[in-house]
Amino acid sequence: MPASLKIQEQFGDDVQVIFVECQGTEKNTYEAFIWKMKWMGNNALWTNERVIPTVGRGLPEVALIGVDGSVLMQGYPGDFGKRLEETIAAEVKKSKHAPPGSPASLKEAWAVFAKGDLGGALEQCDKVGGDDGAKARALMMERTATHFARFERLLAASDLTEAGELVDALRKSCKGVAELAARVSDAAAKLAAPELAAEREASKAWASFVAKIAKEKPFDGGNVKKAENIASKHEGTKNGARAAHFVELSKINLNR
Amino acid sequence: MQMSRWRFALVPLALVGAAWLSASRPVAEGEQVEFKFREAPVNAAGVKGLGDLRGVPVLIDFWGKN
Repeated sequence: MPASLKIQEQFGDDVQVIFVECQGTEKNTYEAFIWKMKWMGNNALWTNERVIPTVGRGLPEVALIGVDGSVLMQGYPGDFGKRLEETIAAEVKKSKHAPPGSPASLKEAWAVFAKGDLGGALEQCDKVGGDDGAKARALMMERTATHFARFERLLAASDLTEAGELVDALRKSCKGVAELAARVSDAAAKLAAPELAAEREASKAWASFVAKIAKEKPFDGGNVKKAENIASKHEGTKNGARAAHFVELSKINLNR
Repeated sequence: MQMSRWRFALVPLALVGAAWLSASRPVAEGEQVEFKFREAPVNAAGVKGLGDLRGVPVLIDFWGKN
């Protein structure tokens, strides 16, 4: 398993790994290859578009972009050693904890926020009050807004099972936060819309299928048959189409 | 007159060339990067570009199937 994939599985949603295929392999072929290698079943993205230009003379090469969108390191991964993983861990911490220079009085607020309790964290900010409390409050709200944006993306992509898990987490995290109550309810209502009933069922079937087969011989005859059943039962949905696409990928001869 | 037409034709060419050079030049450490996918990546989950990922560290792994 590629080291970057281990990082994706270790850090989950806190990190985004993007794999860029650089040898001109056709998209369906490398997608089939990824399935066959049991590299699916996580959040890693796979593309053949150069997200940023490479700097080295060959593969492998990695680049790390920080939480603020700037390039932190780039080059041959063997040259970085443990520094790569340590920098990733530091960036994850940055995304959840207090910014540098934050006053000690807000330590408790940030500790509560890092645990995923926005409501409790905001209460602590309000207790501290003043400019410091207001600034921390605004930053916590800004960071939480990224989760709502992610919900909208998942909804648009019909990844409804993951969207549902995110709404559940937001409901828990935003409990007692009056200014976000309507937003959480709105997200839940969008997800429960009657017109999405078929897609919800299809998403449940596809997500459960992927979770079961991603790490064990995905293209075995029995699994392909299951995917065919999902595709035909949920025809006309995006998740049904994903199952149909999986069936097509299983037919690609990767030994050519 | 003909020369002047040629000059006008060269302007878009120069712009395209500049854009290509800017897209392919290495990005320095500390520099902000923007990128939008032309085609949705595998597992995109609605992500359309790096802007959607602001707030989480992004590790880009350049690899080859062969």
